[in-house]
Amino acid sequence: MSRKIIPFIVAFVLICLVMVVAGVFSFSGLAAAEKFNSSVVASQSFPTAESMKIIDVTGDGQDDLFIQNNSFVAVYDPNFNILFSNSFSTPKTTLGDADGDGVEDIIVFHNATGMSVDVISRGNQTNIAQLLNIGSPSRVALIRFPTGPQIVLGDSSGRVLALSTDGTVLWESNVGSAEIRGMDDARIGGQIHVAIASNDGTVKVFASDGSNVWTVNQEQLRRMRAFDLNADGNSEVITGGEYGAFKIYNAADGQVIFEKSLGQAVSEVREVELNGEPSSREIVAGGKDGGIWAFSFNGTTATQMWTGSLSDKVTEIAGLDINEDGKQEAVIGDDAGKVAIFTENGTRNNLPDHSSGITRIDIGKLGNERYVVVADYNEVQTNKVTFSSIPGFQYTPLVVGVIVSAVILIIAGILASIPPKPEMKLSLQDKSRESLEAQRRMLKEHIADVERLRKAGEMSNEAYLSRLKRLRGDLAENEAAFKTAGFPIKTETFACPNCGGTLELGMDKCEYCGQVILS
Amino acid sequence: MEGFICGSVIAGIVFLVFFFYLLNTARKKGNVDKNQFGKKEFAPVYVSIADRPDSIIRGMNKFVAEAQKTETAGDKWRWIPMLIFFAGIGLALVDVFIFIIGYSSSFVFIAGGFLLWIAAFIMARNLRRSDLMDFSPRYNGTKEILHTLRDDLKPGSTFLGHLDLTGAMLQTKVARETQDAQKRTTQLFNDPWLSLKAKLYDGNVLRVTAVQKTKKRKSYWKRSRISGKNKLKPEKFKGSQQELKVRIVVNPEAYKIKPNNQFSQGKDVGKYKIEQLNTEGGMINILAVSPFEEVEHDHILGFLKTAYSLLERKAA
Repeated sequence: MSRKIIPFIVAFVLICLVMVVAGVFSFSGLAAAEKFNSSVVASQSFPTAESMKIIDVTGDGQDDLFIQNNSFVAVYDPNFNILFSNSFSTPKTTLGDADGDGVEDIIVFHNATGMSVDVISRGNQTNIAQLLNIGSPSRVALIRFPTGPQIVLGDSSGRVLALSTDGTVLWESNVGSAEIRGMDDARIGGQIHVAIASNDGTVKVFASDGSNVWTVNQEQLRRMRAFDLNADGNSEVITGGEYGAFKIYNAADGQVIFEKSLGQAVSEVREVELNGEPSSREIVAGGKDGGIWAFSFNGTTATQMWTGSLSDKVTEIAGLDINEDGKQEAVIGDDAGKVAIFTENGTRNNLPDHSSGITRIDIGKLGNERYVVVADYNEVQTNKVTFSSIPGFQYTPLVVGVIVSAVILIIAGILASIPPKPEMKLSLQDKSRESLEAQRRMLKEHIADVERLRKAGEMSNEAYLSRLKRLRGDLAENEAAFKTAGFPIKTETFACPNCGGTLELGMDKCEYCGQVILS
Repeated sequence: MEGFICGSVIAGIVFLVFFFYLLNTARKKGNVDKNQFGKKEFAPVYVSIADRPDSIIRGMNKFVAEAQKTETAGDKWRWIPMLIFFAGIGLALVDVFIFIIGYSSSFVFIAGGFLLWIAAFIMARNLRRSDLMDFSPRYNGTKEILHTLRDDLKPGSTFLGHLDLTGAMLQTKVARETQDAQKRTTQLFNDPWLSLKAKLYDGNVLRVTAVQKTKKRKSYWKRSRISGKNKLKPEKFKGSQQELKVRIVVNPEAYKIKPNNQFSQGKDVGKYKIEQLNTEGGMINILAVSPFEEVEHDHILGFLKTAYSLLERKAA
């Protein structure tokens, strides 16, 4: 094949490859230039929010902003006008419809007349229990058991107490002997149970009558949440350990479905629908040293989607479909005041920093707009998060592919235009019979010389074969020149059918390649 | 942060190395035509000689011209890889710009720039491969020898032989290998780089063979006495010498051999010293050795001219 054509063939193959890859990137939407930004719409001083939720607690059909810190519970309207506020001593709160009026109530577990529980319904506060036999408030949850709703309380020494919505004590138990760090409703066979975990690593699931379904003990844990990730009627209990153990248990029997060591304490775990694929649910975990991991759970096991990082302890994770593509983005805050949005593939987009560490993030509709509400150690801000992308950017791989292809084509053209390097062997041969005969004699003398040197041990075997091959080649050329000129010549050489090396007639084995020759 | 700095430093070094590689390609400075012993290397040419002197010289000149044509054909494109390199940077900067204005990018332009860099590298490599090393001074020296002897050649006859400039230390030119007490191997190379036979105008037959003999110690592992570690000692060039073998088959009708003191065993002639001289049987056989690594063509011609002082023309 002509050496002028080969560069173009290679170029054509490369261009095809480049354009196919460019096409895949373009039409799969992998190439995108996106930007997330946020602007502060309103802010309100509120130090160290422990709990925050955008939810309708007044029953007017409009969502309100519920916030609680270590001494105060308040409800604001979208313009930060106070709808309700009250002081409590070391309160822990949960939201749920305790009185069955169809509106979420605020349930406050606090220290007043002994350990007390108050229910705030549509702004009206009612004390339903006091002097309870339980320690300092740590967690509270309203669990809708099949037998009816119960308010489950957890204290700082692992004690658990369940009340009816009228304040009657229904059952009590212990989950380890350290602070309760997680309390969530968990489904078993479609029936609601409660999963509770304490800081010492004990995880228990209780039925509505307080009977313990199962117990596991693991390393000290920081976080426990329960989600029915595959909607099979059995929840998955997710725990994050003090030393990095990330585990998913089957709520039905406590069997570990998935576990992975994340290398740092797990400070937060949330469910975020990252890929918009309803048949699998995604879990985002944040670490004490800023690590972020996204896992996808397909009903059987979890697979890691990506990892990312922030600069300090991850304090809050929330999911929001900002660009309205059916996939949620994870809005993540850290203890240094950074807030970042992580997309489905783990791309990080920073939002403006806060002056102090982030404590809570929630997303919801306040008034007519959807806002991201961010609470830090000093204040609460409502932010309007916007998304923008460069139009047509998804086709840039094709543009880049065309540029690269053009360059490849130019290079092929240039390389094809360069003449081949001359062979470094030059044969200067006179075609007269006398000259050819003289050359033949000289070549034979040289061959005899080489053989003499070899016999005298003045030449290595390799050098001997190499020199002999060259001289015999020259002899073959000499014979060919004889024939071309039309002079009679007795052929004395032939080419090895295997390696092409020139041999003397009569040899039955090639000296160069060892091939046996039948002639 | 440390990882970022480390990565940046490595990327910077790669960038600089690549930049200078392309710059040297553009300025035609990249060819390292020295071997591991710092000796200049030359184009590995083999010339088979069986022609009249004018044809040989013409053929050798034509060969050099062709080689230079190949080189000059590539020369006008030597800056293209550098331009492609800068185009790659330009393309990558588009991504940087997109990043600066706040967008997260898919690194499409950086990937495109990287592909252009690969293309630039491939082109630069091909251009360098079309470069030829310089022709050895022996190439021109042989032409001079042929040119000088052309009028002494018997009319109608040709020079026969070869000029082998493929290299003196090829594995195929190993004559012997020796091992010392420490089992270090020394290779002795025998490179008959010039072989010429000519029937002369005066009826004599002249044979000249120039041989370069070289010694090289092969690399070997040595255990350090202090640390106990094994260290690889590199190959070592142990020296080289030139030999000139001359045989003149004397035409007894024209000459008689008459030894003299000026050209006798042990005498220096130019860069050569006569080691063996045999004038028996109507032939003059001379072996001369030169301790010099390179002997110029005029010393060979001078030696041949001096060797003729052994001949005394018979009266007509």
